[in-house]
Amino acid sequence: MTTQRVPLRMIEDEQADALDPVTAEVLRNAFMTAVDLMAEQLLRTCHSFVIHARDFSGGLCDANGDTVAQGSSDVAVQVGTLHFSAKAVLDAFRGDICEGDVFILNDPYSGGTHFNDVRVLRPIFSDGALIAVAQSNGHWADVGGAATGSFDPSATEHFGEGLRITPVRIWSRGRYLADVGRLIASNTRSPEDAEGDLRAQAEATRVCEREVHRLIERYGQGTVIAAFGESQAYVERVVRRRVSALPDGSWEAEDYIDNDPSGGEGLVPIKVRMRISGNGVHYDLSGSHPAIGSFLNSAFGGSYSAVIAGTKTFFPDVPLNSGFYRALTVDFGPRGTVVNASWPRAVTGFYAGPYEKIVNAIFQIWSQIMPERAIATSFNLEYVLLGGRDARPHGQEQFMYYDWMAGGWGGRNGKDGSNATASIFGVGHALQSTEMQELTSPIMTRVCELKTDSGGPGEFRGGLGMVKEVMLTDCEGAVLSYCSDRAKSVIVGSLGGSSSCPHGLWINPASTDERYLGALASRVPVVPGDSLERPSAGGGGYGDPLRRAPRSVREDVVDGYVSIDRARKDYGVVVVRDAGDPDLYMVDDVATAAERRRLRATRAGLLETDPEHVAQRYKDGELTAYDLVRQYGVIVDWGSGELLPETTRKYRAILHERCRSHWAGE
Amino acid sequence: MALRVAVDVGGTFTDVCVLGENGEAPRVAKVPTTAESPIDGVMRGIAQAGADLADTRFFCHGTTVATNALLNRAFPRAALVTTRGFRDVIEIRRGTKEDLWDAYKDVAPPYIARRDRLVVTERVDATGRVIEPLDMAEAKELVDTLRRRQVRTVAVCFVNSYVNPVHEIAMLEFLRAELPDVAVSISSAVLDEILEHERFSTTVANALLSPLIGHYAGSLEKRLAESGYNGRLHLMHGGGGVMTTQAAQKHAARLASSGLAAGAVASKHIALACGYENSLALDVGGTSADISIVCGGELKVVRNWSVDFGHPICFPNLEVLTIGAGGGSIAWVDDGGALRVGPQSAGAAPGPACYGLGGTAATTTDAQLVLGQIDTSLAAGSQLLDVALAKRAVSKIARELNCSLEDAAVGILRVASANLADALKILSIRRGQDPRDFALVAFGGAGPMHAVHLARELSLSAVVVPPHPGVTSAFGCLLVDIRHDFSAMFIRNAQAADPYEIESTFLRLESHARKSLLEDGVEPERISMQRFIEMRYHGQSRSMPIAVDQPVRAIGGLVEKFHVQHREEFGFNHEHGDVDLYQLSVSALGIIEKPRFGALSSGTGKPIEPVGRRMVRFIEPKGWLETPVYSRSDLCPDAKVTGPAVIAQPDSTTLIPPDWTATVDQMGNLRISMDVERQAR
Repeated sequence: MTTQRVPLRMIEDEQADALDPVTAEVLRNAFMTAVDLMAEQLLRTCHSFVIHARDFSGGLCDANGDTVAQGSSDVAVQVGTLHFSAKAVLDAFRGDICEGDVFILNDPYSGGTHFNDVRVLRPIFSDGALIAVAQSNGHWADVGGAATGSFDPSATEHFGEGLRITPVRIWSRGRYLADVGRLIASNTRSPEDAEGDLRAQAEATRVCEREVHRLIERYGQGTVIAAFGESQAYVERVVRRRVSALPDGSWEAEDYIDNDPSGGEGLVPIKVRMRISGNGVHYDLSGSHPAIGSFLNSAFGGSYSAVIAGTKTFFPDVPLNSGFYRALTVDFGPRGTVVNASWPRAVTGFYAGPYEKIVNAIFQIWSQIMPERAIATSFNLEYVLLGGRDARPHGQEQFMYYDWMAGGWGGRNGKDGSNATASIFGVGHALQSTEMQELTSPIMTRVCELKTDSGGPGEFRGGLGMVKEVMLTDCEGAVLSYCSDRAKSVIVGSLGGSSSCPHGLWINPASTDERYLGALASRVPVVPGDSLERPSAGGGGYGDPLRRAPRSVREDVVDGYVSIDRARKDYGVVVVRDAGDPDLYMVDDVATAAERRRLRATRAGLLETDPEHVAQRYKDGELTAYDLVRQYGVIVDWGSGELLPETTRKYRAILHERCRSHWAGE
Repeated sequence: MALRVAVDVGGTFTDVCVLGENGEAPRVAKVPTTAESPIDGVMRGIAQAGADLADTRFFCHGTTVATNALLNRAFPRAALVTTRGFRDVIEIRRGTKEDLWDAYKDVAPPYIARRDRLVVTERVDATGRVIEPLDMAEAKELVDTLRRRQVRTVAVCFVNSYVNPVHEIAMLEFLRAELPDVAVSISSAVLDEILEHERFSTTVANALLSPLIGHYAGSLEKRLAESGYNGRLHLMHGGGGVMTTQAAQKHAARLASSGLAAGAVASKHIALACGYENSLALDVGGTSADISIVCGGELKVVRNWSVDFGHPICFPNLEVLTIGAGGGSIAWVDDGGALRVGPQSAGAAPGPACYGLGGTAATTTDAQLVLGQIDTSLAAGSQLLDVALAKRAVSKIARELNCSLEDAAVGILRVASANLADALKILSIRRGQDPRDFALVAFGGAGPMHAVHLARELSLSAVVVPPHPGVTSAFGCLLVDIRHDFSAMFIRNAQAADPYEIESTFLRLESHARKSLLEDGVEPERISMQRFIEMRYHGQSRSMPIAVDQPVRAIGGLVEKFHVQHREEFGFNHEHGDVDLYQLSVSALGIIEKPRFGALSSGTGKPIEPVGRRMVRFIEPKGWLETPVYSRSDLCPDAKVTGPAVIAQPDSTTLIPPDWTATVDQMGNLRISMDVERQAR
């Protein structure tokens, strides 16, 4: 099989006929409530702080495994994959499922996302028949593998990443299979937490089961089962009706992973083509690059969730279930690509690789179709994992410091992007408290603030990213991994908008032992006194920054969102501070008009400056990373300053299409 | 004679409830809220209820002043002073959004803009050690800036100040000396807890509100005194207690949820008086419904209340879930052909179509009017409703659904009720409870309209409708105690925790609390303390409060209690799991003597005559029924009304469908339950 297609199916209207529309609506909401109740319970009982930060999802599936309701607060990165897991369990145990059984799996190669996302499924019975499946999916803090937290950016195969759980029975007729549970937990770094999460998730599915039984008691089994079908048909109707109101056509967009570590330098393209015909939407990912030599690959489940999450952003009020998925088809293209990787390719970093790029490519496509919801490229999750021995006086334990930041979302049609917002990974994904981190790890945060100038300049500015600087204190044997992307495939703007800033982790910046690790680093030893600094990207700018109202630029300067220096360079706005009143900033209108004229005349030419020459000026400290990505279109290794010629060539081509071609008046 | 007077100011109406000493029925009044100067409405309401303030010995007030200030962002110029490197804690927040999918719906901006967030060099580590001293030269520059900008109120929020507040205190003293007219809130005094975003956010709200509350409470006190009141002013706070004016200035942000708590407190009292330890409260007004829960006789306290998502006020707050489902909620048919009700509301203007004020969208009230469930004249004739306009609005929905007018109206009410039912389920499940074990206390103008249908949907055992459903919140204001909450972080493994240290921490909190209550003028013998330890399994991120009812000498019993409570709430526990302590807290009450409620005199025993009859279509069963309409004022204790029936009163309407019966108890409540024969079927 070279292609996995999600088949288009007809609406099962004979079921819908049996239900009056009000009962259908009442039950559709009740199913959502049943799923949300699972989330309520899981949040209160989980062990993984990653789950507690809302990296989880839940679903109620019908007897075919199709999703009837998905939780209203689920993390974006897992949406659209719960039915794959339900079907995997139903297929694996067909004819051998009893009341009181519970199953577990985390297999990304059968439609899961990555090994940490462990799914616990409880088939629901009524009158002796299997009528539904309740599912709770949560990101465990660790599932074994070579690296703490089971995130090893250098892994190329699954064996180094973590424990792969194909569908396994974990409760049999209500009895917990402790031997199986122990086998799974023993393969993780924190067996107690693993079993704690397993129990919490299994108990959460019981809450959903109880709700379904109550609804059956009230409305009857036939009605409830009919409503499972109608809930999906309803969503499918909504999506198809809206799509049919849009013009038919084809669109395509690309976004890029930084590079393939097993190849040379050069951006790795992820290609999304989309066609609207009649009332259906058809995606085609077949033009994407072959799988790469890091963990930034995606199996089809992760790519599918990206298609769903990206599309859903343009249908924000439509509930998610298999009815939504039926209105879309996805051609993942041949197996073995970066978006359709197969066993045993490493896929744990799918969220920072293909997931993010597919979502942002879909943002580009739908921004053309629905300009009223247009949004430029937005920040995605970056993730530090740091572990070792806590050598502070009171503790002899291992510590696990996993940290992620918020970042900027893209500029919008008529509106600046949101500052420091959780990533497109899922905007419910909460940041941790610095004070709690300092209590539990020998790590002190020195800076955790918005990063001035990080929002991509535009008529509507991209939201600001953050900067974080932490220092290791009393620890031993500490090892660091950094899982991110976009050190080279920098977030760019839309419709003439400008770029944000590159990702990358620095150790002891501006000192003699400065080291630059870039966006991916695996198991790097660090010692007490080391300081780690990293930015999170801002959003891409929307529209030509020279069209931004000077007054808005001045307000940004007053708030320190934009520096006086970059106000001039990026916006051509000359802001001066009053000598008498330090709180008073003014726009110099005459100087601004002159500066904007000058930039209009010269900016296209700067993008053709000899890149070697630009790289040298960066090395010499004459130019900053902002100058390179915004004014010169040059990408270097930000640590050494070495030019990346192939990456730069492609980056300039991207800027030509997304920025320069939209600059008017040159 | 000594009266107790409560005035609860809501968005639309100011409600007044007056109780005498001898258990006679309360006097109530309802006047329009005067948004511009709410105190005028307060005084007018008191006059209308006929309360003489010179005869009043207890005055309690629920107010939306703080809530409105946060909603409208009408504050004096404010600044945040914080640790260098942490300027944006209240803007970065937890990074989350309320609307997960709509990329155009933004979180509200922080209350204090970045330009007014000033940093100073200082640092304390997680153990409380000073890493960098407070830089007084920078502090001095900062004071110049505050003075130049004419800042009126300042929040001082330093990282790790919950372990060691030394720098916050130093900054407070410096600001007081340099800027004596500027109000200052420091985070370690406002909310002495770990988690910088939540503590900073609460402190910022407190700083914004304290000048406003101080001014408002002062003006009201003056007006009350001028009218002869010589007692203290008690202000209702979100924790379900009251505070004096002095305490309110210190913890002004506790008043932000003032309006929500009183209804919950009233429902608890009513349910307990009726013998129900477990109850759900449903308060349905014009635009929204407030839902709360009492389990085992206790209201639940939560710590994540906010006016704007992302800017929490983390004082202990009674758990009240507000959803957009009220009498003015608008019905609509969506793209998928599904009938939806709310959350958009027609509000007070234009209001439901039947008000004839220009509204054309069908609302819940219009559907009720079409079905004959409410009379064409409301509030003793002050509001006349136009059936033709209601029919016209609902018939638009009927056309879209391709069904009859009647089916459309019934559908609207079923969907509206289902929204309420889902919210009631969420709230009870959060407590790990089965809703079937609960009684429903229904109030607000529209609560008693939905109550019996909801009871049927959720298989609830009984419904209680209090005598004056429309002024229940004001009634709740008369049932409260002075309440302060104090807490201390206590993050330890339970095995390693020293019981002596726990006990001494509790004693310290209690002595602090006692001091506050004495300052409030509470007599020592009226002070009552409740202790709690927050506990969790090692590795869990949320903890659970375990009540501590005696001096702590050993930890084992408390750990055992935690295991049991975890099983009760969540259905499982880890019997051999490692347990951590998280926080110790004390709720300190200054007990206010409660009014006595005498039994009402029973009626003559003669059957009660309906005041009218009309055709009513209930949600269930199908079909129109000739239904008697009773006046609530005719119903004395022991009166019995069997469904179908409508019970009308100026501030509300109660529906009794067939197979249900209402009886009036000695307190004047309607007690509604399903007929026994029907249950057996």
